[in-house]
Order: sequence, then structure tokens, then C-alpha cells
Amino acid sequence: MATTTTPTPETPSAVARKPASPGKQRLSRRRRREALSFYLFISPWMIGFLVFLLGPMIASIYYSLTDWDSFNPPKWVGFDNYVKLLTDDPVFWKALWNTFYYAAISVPLGLVLGLWLANLLNKQVRARKLFRTLIYLPTLIPLVATAMIFRMVLAPNGPINDFLGLFGLSGPNWLLDGPWVKPALILMSAWGAGAATVLLLAAMKGIPRELYEAAEVDGASATRQFWSITLPHLTPIIFFNLIMGLINAFQIFSQLYILIPKGKNPAGYDAAQTMVPLLFDQAFSYYRMGYASAISWLLFLVILVFTVIAFRTTRRWVFYETEVK
Amino acid sequence: MTLDSARFSRRGFLGLGVAAGVVTLTACGSGSGSSDAPLLMTVWGGDPDRKTYQARIDLLVKKHPDLKIKLQLIPGDAYPQKVQTMIAGGTGPDIMQVAESVNTYSSKNQLLPLDDLAKKAKLDPEQRFGPVGSLYTYQDKLYAIPDRSGAVTVFYNKDMFDKKGVKAPTADWTWDDTLDAFKELTVPGKVWGYSGAEWFPQWWSLAYQNGGTIIDAQGRPAVDSDEVVEALQWAGDLVFKHKVAPSKADYADMGPDIGGDQAFPNQKVATHANGFWVMSGLTKVEFGWDIAPMWRGKKQAVSAFGSGLAISRTSKQRDNAFKAIDFLTSPEAQTEIIASGQDVPANLEVQKSQAFLKPAWMKTDVDMGVFAESSEFVFRAPFIPEWNQMQDVISNGLADFWLGKERSAKKALTALQKDLESLIKSAG
Repeated sequence: MATTTTPTPETPSAVARKPASPGKQRLSRRRRREALSFYLFISPWMIGFLVFLLGPMIASIYYSLTDWDSFNPPKWVGFDNYVKLLTDDPVFWKALWNTFYYAAISVPLGLVLGLWLANLLNKQVRARKLFRTLIYLPTLIPLVATAMIFRMVLAPNGPINDFLGLFGLSGPNWLLDGPWVKPALILMSAWGAGAATVLLLAAMKGIPRELYEAAEVDGASATRQFWSITLPHLTPIIFFNLIMGLINAFQIFSQLYILIPKGKNPAGYDAAQTMVPLLFDQAFSYYRMGYASAISWLLFLVILVFTVIAFRTTRRWVFYETEVK
Repeated sequence: MTLDSARFSRRGFLGLGVAAGVVTLTACGSGSGSSDAPLLMTVWGGDPDRKTYQARIDLLVKKHPDLKIKLQLIPGDAYPQKVQTMIAGGTGPDIMQVAESVNTYSSKNQLLPLDDLAKKAKLDPEQRFGPVGSLYTYQDKLYAIPDRSGAVTVFYNKDMFDKKGVKAPTADWTWDDTLDAFKELTVPGKVWGYSGAEWFPQWWSLAYQNGGTIIDAQGRPAVDSDEVVEALQWAGDLVFKHKVAPSKADYADMGPDIGGDQAFPNQKVATHANGFWVMSGLTKVEFGWDIAPMWRGKKQAVSAFGSGLAISRTSKQRDNAFKAIDFLTSPEAQTEIIASGQDVPANLEVQKSQAFLKPAWMKTDVDMGVFAESSEFVFRAPFIPEWNQMQDVISNGLADFWLGKERSAKKALTALQKDLESLIKSAG
């Protein structure tokens, strides 16, 4: 650190001569210009964040403490919305459970699948570029199209059930039959494992070859190499995918909205309703904005708790090469 | 020092942003149009709807050059949210299209009662629209003037009826006659006699035919009455006992997004009860088809699909807005609705006019008089303020029934009654 090569002698000198001095004056003008251009370039994003995100977020805290139909002035009700949600709304708990169920299975499943696919694609197989494209392709297909395809695939006499029929199993009415709707959604989420695969594959390519060579010389098997070299090097990417996957899973909305539309498939919707669709219904269908705001803050807390837990455990399992050196 | 000032400016920046956010939020509340701005009219639908509404507005402006109207068309799915946002933002429409959820707005004090304006303009809704005239009243006040209103009619495949030697359906068919015909027309696994049992306008028609109501005169839910139970059981039996109507699983196997509206043109079902729009899928079919009024139970009753035009309470130009609505629902402007093939105009005079009975775009001979005939016995559906929640509760409550997991209508409706009671009590 002491032998820094960047031409920034002003930092140590400014610190050394802490009281105001002519030297600082001159240098800080340059700094100020730099700061100005920093704010200039960041401001579109900052203003967008503050006006369209932070402002409404703060407003929604207030609204969550009111009874507000979005037309008439909000009525202050204190914590009534939260109390009602947590003690007197079975639909909320059901939606929370459905959300956990989905996140708890789809996120790990996506990671394992991604890891497995990346590992396969990293081998010297024929036409692996083609396979790579094919595996990433589902990610590029718009969600609406994916959902339409899955509606056909998961039809009572669709391809999946035909396939199960080959083994003498009679498949369920995936999207119509209560207990099978969530597994169907998870199945669809697994189809998008290609996104994680690409990131993991890139990280695999970045692992130094000499580690494997050394391991080979020491007589380590391929499996041993995977567990002792590949996997530890991938943990930062796995961690990233875990966090993003958790947040996305907790906020699942569009898939439900398209795959099991409330109007046409009430049984399916009822069986798999998660937090965001619940919030949407309350806000825009039942005109209970205050209640919906309270739901959104509870969802925010849930996501926050899980993200914090994930971050807290990083020391135990996430390996950063730079930290070792 | 530098660190401190950086932190300060960051905090200052945050504060500025919060202020900006709050200002934008509150600023939305104060903006609104001046009194000589054009009237803003919101409607839902797609491009054909836009053309029809615009054509009617053009007629209006020709007749009343002092009126200006700006039409805003919003896709159906997004309509409630969009209008909600506009009203909350203080820029609500002057004239808005409303339908079943009309009293969500009227009960929240968002719509102008129209009784006085109608009286002043000598517009008598009963006379102009028949029973539908009072459809959009809430607590004895009129909140919207009917604009489009088409009853559920029975579409039937003439070729299939001829082949099986079944006589064409009529308004005098009883439930027994109807079931016999459906059984006759069904070819197991290939063609079903009927589709259209499980959507609420369809089975509610049966409930009202049987003398039942969904919400009684006192505003209490009444779905566990014997009349409603019997009607739902009959509808459910069509699907699961007699198997003369496709189940959800049968539809799902026909393809994604297939329902009766698609199954009928594809000759998967011989009869289908639904609204006017089914015709748009029938302009190019090869087989012969026609429509008939809904059959009858103990009495005649049928649902209607439609919408009305309302004036928002924040409108600065109430008189002009009403003048526009008065003209838009007059025979002159309403003729445009059928001429373009968009929908059934609510105006009875137009429903009986030659323009409606023989529209230019109709290639085959279809008995359009059925709509005017059906308008006479449209039942008044309960447009309660909690309409959307009620629909969700009903469709959730009957989900297992329509999957065939719960075969007893009595059990399903007893449970549903309890859910509806808790909804309507808590909302009241």
C-alpha cells in the first residue's frame, strides 16, 4: 500500500498539513472539479433514485400506517394494518408460506443446476459452444413466451405428463390442481438456470490452471479437484447468485400473473399466491393502499433478514482469493 | 476535513432528494384542467374500440361544435389501475367508462350522482334502456348512463343440430329440454354439447332463473339458498355428471388459453352461452351458426355484459360532460357501436333498428333480434362496492367445485356463504 503508483501526492500531503494551507486550496480546486463532474454524471441516477424510489418509499411508510383507498384522504390508524396482517389475515400467512416454499426450493435448485451445467460445459466436449448457447437461450426468451410454452408443456395431457406416462405414472393437472402449482412454478424457474450457468462458467475459466496441474501431480481425482479447487473459487459467484436469487424469488410476480391468471384459474392462483400478487390485489383491485403498503414493508423486512443472514455467514464459506494473498 | 465535507454534501443531497420526492408527490395533487379544456374521456379496449368511440365523438362534435373531447384509451387489464392513479393524482377523467365495479368508485365518493342532470336533460333511463337503465344505481342514486349492454345469448352450431336432428334452442326450453339436447349433441371425448357453465354470468343466470339471488334485497349474501344450490348443482352436473360440457382439464388439453369462446368456432362444442364478442371469432367459420335467447328455469333471467358512462366528481364541466353522455347514448351515436361490430348498444331503440338487425358486416343470417328480446329479462346483478373482492372470494370458494373435487354444490355454497358474510360484514 505504501508504494502506490498513482500520481496522487495530494492525499498524504493534505492529511499531513491538516490545518488550512495555500497548498490545500490549490489542490482542492482540482478535487472540487472532480467532485462536480462526479455529481454531474451520477445525478441522473441519484435524482431518479431519490424522486422515484426513496421519496415513494418514505411516503409508503406513512401510508402503511393509514387506511387509504387512494381516492379519499388517508385516515391515520397507527399499526392497525400490521396488527391485522400478522394476527388476523390467514391469506397473508398463506402467501408468506407460499413465498418461502418457492424460494427455499427454487433458489438452491437453480444454484445446483447452474453449477452442474457449468461444470459440464467446462469440459472439452464437441460442440460445447452450441450447448452453451442452448443453455443460455431460455434466459433470452421473454417471460410471457416462456409462460405460454409452460402452459402447454404442463397441460393435463401435455408432454411432461406423456413422458411420465411412459413409466406408468399418471401425471397431475399441474397448473390446475392445488398442491402441484408450486412445483410447476419451481420447474419453470429451473428452466432459467442458464443465467447462473454463464456466470459460473466464466468464473471457472478464471481459475488458474496451475492449481489443477499441481493437484494432478499430487494425485487428486477429478472429484477431489472439483470440491477442493473449483468449488471454493466459485463461492463468490455462488454467493452473488444466492443473494440475487433470493431477492428475485421473494418478489416473484409475473410468472404467477401469466401462468395462473386469477380470473381464469382461481384454484391455481389460490394455491400458489405469493406476497407480491397479494400486495398487487390489495392495492389495485381492492383499493386498500394502506394495507398494501404494510404488506410491502413486511416483505422488505423479510428480504432484508434473509440477505443479512446470507451476508453474516459469508466468512464461513465464501472464499476471496485476494484476501488470502 | 474533505471527508467531512463529502459526508455533509452527501447528506445534503439526500435531504434535497427527499424534499424533491415529497414535492413531486404533493404537486400531483394540485394540478387539474381549466374549465375550457377539452373533456377527458377514458375508455378501455383495443384499437377497434378506439375507432368506434372516436367515430361517436366525431358525431358529437359535429352536432355540438362547442364541445371538445379528448379520448384516452387504456388497455383493459390496466384500466382500473390507470384510472385509480389519475384520480389519486388529481387529474381524473371527466367522463369515464365504468362496469361491474362502478360502485367501488361511487361508494368512495368519486362519481357524480346523475339524477338531477338526467331530469334536466329529459333523459329517462328506463325508457331509453329498459331494465338496464337502473343497473348503475347505488343507494337510490344513478351513477352511470348505460352505454353498451348485450345479454348472454346461446350460440349454436346449426350443422351439428341438423345432423343430430335436434331442434334449434328457444327461450322456452326448460332445464330438462336443455339437458336432453346437450346429451344428444355430445360425442364423448370429441364434441361436447355445451360450454359455458362456470363463469359467474353463466351460472348466476341459472340461479336467478331458479328464483335465487347472489346478494339479497337487504344487501346480505344469499348463495346458500336452495334455489342457488339447485342451480349450481345443475351447472356442475353438466360438466362432471353428464359430461356434456368440457372440464378445465379438457380445455387445457385443447391448447393454452382455450375456453368456450375458442372451442365453439373450432367445433369442439355444439352450443355456447356468452356475450356478443364471440361473433368476432365466427366471421370466417365454415359451418352454419345462429344465436338464440337463453333458455328458462322457473322464470326467464339472463346476465348482460356492458358498461356505462359516468362523470367524475372532480370534473369542472359537469353540464358539458352530461350533454356529451346524453348524445353518446342517443340512437344517432349508438348506431355506430353496431355498425362497426364493436358491441351491442344499450339503447333499446337501436337494438330494434334495422341497422342492428342487419349489420353490413354480417355475412350470414343471424337472428340479431335476440338481443332486444333478451334485454327484457336481464336480471340486475349485485354491483356491490366490494365487487372485486366478492369475485375473488366466489372464484376461490368454487375452485374445487369446478375442478370436480367437491361435487356437492350445497357444501361448496355453504362454505362460500360464510366467506361472503365475513367479507361484506367487514367491508360494511
